[in-house]
Amino acid sequence: MVDRGNPIIQVKNLYKIYRVGDTRVHALDGVDFTVYKGEFCAIVGPSGSGKSTLLNMLAGLEKPTKGQIVIDKIHIEDMTENQLVEFRRKRVGFIFQSYNLLQTMNAVENVALPLSFRGVPKKKRNEIAVRYLKLVGLEKQMKHMANAMSGGQQQRVGIARALAVNPKIIFADEPTGNLDSKTTLEILKLMRQVVREQNQTLVMVTHDNNLAAYADRQFHIVDGKIVRIVEKAEADRMSGGTAADERMVGGTLDMTAELPEEAVETAEFSASPR
Amino acid sequence: MRFLDLLGMSVSNLKRRKMRTFLTVLGVIIGTASVVIMVSLGIGLNGLMMEQYSSYGDMTMVTVNSNTYYGGGQDVDESQFLTDDTMKQIAVLDHVTNVSPVLRADVVLKQGLYYCSQSITGVSRDYLEKIPLGQGELAAADDNELKFYYGNRVIMWFSNEKTGAGYGDNEELPPVDFMGKPMFVIFDTNAYWQTRGNNTESSVKPPKKYLIGTGGVVEGTFRDYNNYSYDIYCDAELLKQQLKTIFRKNPIPGQPTNRKGKPYPYFVYSQLMVFVDDMENVTDVQKQLSDMGYQTNSQMEWIEQAQQTYGMVQLVLGGIGAVSLFVAAIGIANTMMMSIYERTKEIGVIKVLGCDMRNIRNMFLLESGFIGFMGGVVGLCISYGVGYAMNHFLSLGQMMMGVDGDISRIPFWLAGGAIVFAILVGMLAGFFPSLRAMHLSPLAAIRNE
Repeated sequence: MVDRGNPIIQVKNLYKIYRVGDTRVHALDGVDFTVYKGEFCAIVGPSGSGKSTLLNMLAGLEKPTKGQIVIDKIHIEDMTENQLVEFRRKRVGFIFQSYNLLQTMNAVENVALPLSFRGVPKKKRNEIAVRYLKLVGLEKQMKHMANAMSGGQQQRVGIARALAVNPKIIFADEPTGNLDSKTTLEILKLMRQVVREQNQTLVMVTHDNNLAAYADRQFHIVDGKIVRIVEKAEADRMSGGTAADERMVGGTLDMTAELPEEAVETAEFSASPR
Repeated sequence: MRFLDLLGMSVSNLKRRKMRTFLTVLGVIIGTASVVIMVSLGIGLNGLMMEQYSSYGDMTMVTVNSNTYYGGGQDVDESQFLTDDTMKQIAVLDHVTNVSPVLRADVVLKQGLYYCSQSITGVSRDYLEKIPLGQGELAAADDNELKFYYGNRVIMWFSNEKTGAGYGDNEELPPVDFMGKPMFVIFDTNAYWQTRGNNTESSVKPPKKYLIGTGGVVEGTFRDYNNYSYDIYCDAELLKQQLKTIFRKNPIPGQPTNRKGKPYPYFVYSQLMVFVDDMENVTDVQKQLSDMGYQTNSQMEWIEQAQQTYGMVQLVLGGIGAVSLFVAAIGIANTMMMSIYERTKEIGVIKVLGCDMRNIRNMFLLESGFIGFMGGVVGLCISYGVGYAMNHFLSLGQMMMGVDGDISRIPFWLAGGAIVFAILVGMLAGFFPSLRAMHLSPLAAIRNE
């Protein structure tokens, strides 16, 4: 086992049970895993698998029924709503599927918005916003209003917004779900690139195995349980090097990239379901 | 989050739905304007009434009457006489600035063929100074000559000695000139009446006539009325000297006598005028005086009654205005609710991005408060405009009260209060919607529709 550095997210025995009438729905059914600093992780699963619930709980948007979530050495499972908001403000960046930019603001203002929640003065936060917009390649769209930009551009603004607060961890919920395949590729590459450059940790939720292949590690989740964890090195080897990139360029997004069973076996990890 | 950032977000949200914001603000404008105009009318009516009363005379004056009737020979309670001693007692009371005696003496005034039988009123110099003179002026303080100051309507009492015709008979003012011609005054009126006409058998000698100079005449024509219109005033001390020299040891008409019919060695006043430092203390002083056993009168009694009435009128008017402001508040609440439904997702997003819950609440409170503020300011401007129109073009004051003056008055406290109140109403109306916004789930943001 290689030393992966500091764990930034530790999830232990996490349950989320919804009551629907008399029946109890196990959205998450005992999940354990660890994410380390600087990693690009993907949580992959079909719809209804509990992946979004997991992400919501990691980001402190929903409370777990049972179990522990430790992020940056802080337990968040018992926090009040106010504490969770503060936790998100100080440690978390968020990238949404539908971008969720504020329509009344231009690109710079949107990126600067989370900084304003921290009380950063306008001049300073606009400087930071401009810096990150350049990083995501939007030098020319600084003053564009949110609805005057293409989806790809909007998601770039969204990425810049998540980065601007210099969070400990960035969550991305289906970040390319509303984009065409070409833009999807650009955005994914951009995310991987800036995460590496900035030494950020990114947790992305997706239902698409091809997209997940861009991650350093993939957590496959089915029916509220992590069924396997795939390391990028192995995933690449299985599919012959830069498989994911090429498949993407091929433009066949729907193509399933089921990994051979033995790859799963090798990737089996202490965090797998009991 | 900084206050300016918060304000900026609120304002940009209001700008987003200009028409809706405008309509909501319009409601507040109408509400504020109706409250301010109504209250300003109440204040104006009250003010007009006060001006009317104060034009009648001094409102800080309390009249003290003795309980004791003083005729001749009957049982009189000397302790109840209003004398110089009483004046000293009253003068030391709290809030009393001055006490003036009212010494009345009956006289007959004669100028040429015209005469009139009147009583003159001797008062202190302080009191004389308050009389608004239209002609002539008050004699210097060290001037020891007795002078009369005539009320502007006194001229109406004169009648022709031969024909008996006066103003009441022919509606012609007698040709009496107070300032220009000499005025003869008979102090011993008993002797005058007994020797009058052809009554030659009388043993009484015709009384002496004294030439008394005119100090001045109260302002206004004989048609105008004020508190000083009907009386003839002079300095009480000089009048006392005059009476003493005329009557010597004999009883002075109008002054009480003891059981034996002898006069008292001091003057007894028919009334005292007590001056109070401030209108608000008049009732207080009046109460102290009645506790001392005197009968008192002041304009304040009337004013207080009238003020109560106008207070009610003001309340009713203000209430009518408040109804429209209440409706406006409902409008604000409705607008805020709509706005929150519309922005559910956006609120969720900023919550996910770490916007403090209190900041979200404050953002909405600021928004509704800002609606109130704008409505308040514009409503106040409109109130000033309507008030100006009522004061200058309609002259409602003249129509309703018969007095010249502003009927709509917006004092500073009303203007300031109106804006603060409008903001408060806005924030109050926005309070529950803002709580709702605060507790919206951030999950709404990541739900994809």
